[in-house]
Amino acid sequence: MSRQAAIERIDTYMEGGGFLDDLSRRVAIHTESQEDTQIGELHRYLDEEMQPYLEDMGFSCEKFENSIEGGGPFLIATRHEADDLPTVLSYGHGDVVRGYDDQWHEGLSPWTITKEGNRWYGRGTADNKGQHTINLSALKAVLEERGKLGFNVKVLLETGEERGSPGLREFCQAQSEKLKADVLVASDGPRLSPDRPTIFMGSRGVFNFTMRVDLREGGHHSGNWGGLLANPGVILTHAISSIVSPKGEVLVDGLRPPGPIPNSVRAAITNLKIDGGEGAPEIDPDWGEPGFTAGEKVFGWNTFEILAYTTGTPGKPVNAVPPSAEATCHIRFVPPTDSHGFIPCLREHLDANGFSMVELTASRECMNATRLDPDHPWAKWVVASIEKTSGRKVDVLPNLGGSLPNDAFSEILALPTIWVPHSYAACSQHAPNEHILEGVSHDALQVMTGLWWDMGDGNTPQ
Amino acid sequence: MSRASAIENALAYFDDGGYLAELGPRIAIPTESQNPERLAVLRDYLEQEMIPAFEAMGHDCQVFENPAEGGGPVLLACRIEDSAFPTVLGYGHGDVVRGQEGNWKNDRDPWTIEQDGDRVYGRGTADNKGQHILNMAAMRHVIETRGSLGFNSKFMIEMGEENGSAGLEQIVSENKEAFSADVFIASDGPRISPDTPTIFLGARGAKNFDLVVDLREGGHHSGNWGGLLANPGIILAQALATIVGPTGELLVKDLLPPPISNSVREALKGIAIDVGENGPEIDPEWGAPGLTPAERVYAWNIFEILTMTTGNPANPVNAVPPKARAHCQYRFVAGSKRDEALDILRRHLDENGFEQVRIEPPPPGNAIDFKATRTELDHPWAIWVRDAIERTKGTPPALLPSLGGSICNDIFTDILGLPSIWIPHSYGACSQHAPNEHILLSEFRDAISVMTGVYWDLGEDGTPS
Repeated sequence: MSRQAAIERIDTYMEGGGFLDDLSRRVAIHTESQEDTQIGELHRYLDEEMQPYLEDMGFSCEKFENSIEGGGPFLIATRHEADDLPTVLSYGHGDVVRGYDDQWHEGLSPWTITKEGNRWYGRGTADNKGQHTINLSALKAVLEERGKLGFNVKVLLETGEERGSPGLREFCQAQSEKLKADVLVASDGPRLSPDRPTIFMGSRGVFNFTMRVDLREGGHHSGNWGGLLANPGVILTHAISSIVSPKGEVLVDGLRPPGPIPNSVRAAITNLKIDGGEGAPEIDPDWGEPGFTAGEKVFGWNTFEILAYTTGTPGKPVNAVPPSAEATCHIRFVPPTDSHGFIPCLREHLDANGFSMVELTASRECMNATRLDPDHPWAKWVVASIEKTSGRKVDVLPNLGGSLPNDAFSEILALPTIWVPHSYAACSQHAPNEHILEGVSHDALQVMTGLWWDMGDGNTPQ
Repeated sequence: MSRASAIENALAYFDDGGYLAELGPRIAIPTESQNPERLAVLRDYLEQEMIPAFEAMGHDCQVFENPAEGGGPVLLACRIEDSAFPTVLGYGHGDVVRGQEGNWKNDRDPWTIEQDGDRVYGRGTADNKGQHILNMAAMRHVIETRGSLGFNSKFMIEMGEENGSAGLEQIVSENKEAFSADVFIASDGPRISPDTPTIFLGARGAKNFDLVVDLREGGHHSGNWGGLLANPGIILAQALATIVGPTGELLVKDLLPPPISNSVREALKGIAIDVGENGPEIDPEWGAPGLTPAERVYAWNIFEILTMTTGNPANPVNAVPPKARAHCQYRFVAGSKRDEALDILRRHLDENGFEQVRIEPPPPGNAIDFKATRTELDHPWAIWVRDAIERTKGTPPALLPSLGGSICNDIFTDILGLPSIWIPHSYGACSQHAPNEHILLSEFRDAISVMTGVYWDLGEDGTPS
């Protein structure tokens, strides 16, 4: 019975196909939370897959309906060993983005894991089924090796993260007693570089909204009417062009962070090397906030994106002035930017620039920006555990570039939040051809086994 | 035998239902030229309807096979009375856009004409069957009243206008003698308002193309990559914003036409754009600054974004999209730099730092590329037709230098070297190219008197030599 034996146990699990089996079952469930019709699959993921699996490991499980209409259910699984042991809250989400079944490369399906070399393709392999499967499998290895964990665990699984985690905050508020813990250790998102472990302690916030110009009903012949009727597509491109520069610089003050990057954060991120790994897109060095390093742009600053834009009938174009145009946009933002100011500030900006006809509609769900000081004792403890297992330096990020509902844990549950991501940047998360790397997953299984082992070893921060 | 009795006879034919009786069976032939399955139907229209009708009017008919794959045949019907007479080339197109069955109000069938008050619904009623059938009927009443035309008639019916008139240019180029004439007089498009007879002397050109920013394969999570990866949607929006201003002004100087001439300005003075019942409201602040609405649409150039896409608009995800595409249109009047337009645009994009924006061919389904053409406002034939219409109506028609829309007019002006005079019978809100296409009976009744008068006068002395 040793740390090393636990890690060997997880090696056997990986090499013997156990991880592939567990993950394959989970990927096969079509938990597309953005599709209202898939609500049954969200329940099935918890009822038929996760609950029996966790109960088998000695967890007691309780499922909760979402207080928000249409939101997916939650599961709280608790394994309580002793009152005087530390309690870890872990988190995962069982839902995935839409499959986009017909857009994957030939021979791939989102709902079946296909191995091609080091890559395992499938929807949710990276985001997030693969990651919580790694954490729970590592937990199981420690449990089997030690006969107990040596700490208390609460696992919270939600099924609406890809819709913006509707009801999660209300749920954490309502169940704060059941979710009480000493620290959150969970996994989502990518490593900074595939061959080095990463931890992050917060995330950029995300604020989605639409910009819409709706001028009239129906299109009108561009020969008879071109020059007489305002073109909503033209207006919207100008409205957007007044918000973000041709190089991606955010031009509206109220959409930028209220002050410069704090020194402690800058020290942590300025020289981070962003290596997406093989297949990663090439970074555009001239894009984004001028004068910033890549690390500063993605971990230390706000960005504005057009996620989607449409005008006219792109599939069946006709020679007509289109009646309307719509852009789905979002802002990723770092603390202490206040997202409540975005819409009023954009409204004022658009009105002042002659774009009062552009309608703004905020998406109901918004994720707040959160951060934890890189010097926090739990951060240092996790880094030490990971370095002991992997022998490599850990990249430490005050916050992730992406967004997580981390405020539910850091603010509502008031926990120090440590995220140990197992994916890598070029994983095509949220796109067709989502995949994980076998090597990284194996490494992550070892890292998490070591971390859970150490958690039960009696030397955790007070 | 008089001008007045010819017009009276034509009006009696119209009022007795003769016109609708001819129109109905021809609308019933679903001559959709954009639908490859209708190729045989295109020929049926000529063989079953047009050739017998023209032969009954003493025309010899010749059918030209289309050299363009999938293109319909072209009919040339000729009635040569005397080589000393002026020869008039007429034109119509027997093809229509797709029926869009199921999208018409009250479940109307596009292939069955249906009268509702002053309106007669059906695909092709306005564009163009209703117009050339009316002209043929007017000509027939001149023959019946006078016993002859008094001029030579050549009348061509093509079956591919809605598909870009594929092959027509080649047919005419290779048979210039057969199509030769002194003047081109035909009908298509709308009057400036239903009760204002209108002449237009050319058409704006139109060139469609795509602007594409294609940066990489696949989307990338906007949290992990936002700020690091250029967003093609932002780049394309910014590039478009340098081409066309926020109020629709075309900003690329070399794509603008030469200044509007005084004669064009004079002709357009007082011409109001009548949007008709249910027409869209004109945006007075849109388009080229300092021009009247009529000048903007009949005498100036415009750049439109017809469609634009980036990302996945139906199901947006939080990813930096990989590419963005705008399907664009340049509409321009005669005298603009049509052939160099894309080179000018390329230079403009490069000069403004948008080397990443590619100019690509448009999708085949919407790949129009029309030249702009114009017959001068003071051309003797323009003045003659204007006067002929005034003799019927008592007031002169509206005279436009150009149609706002585009048509293959360059075949007549450039290849055949003819002055081109268009006398449109439809109106702006006729839902041409959309469900619920229709004509107004009151307007077409007026049009048959106008056309009968014009054809009558073509057989009198006093035509331009």
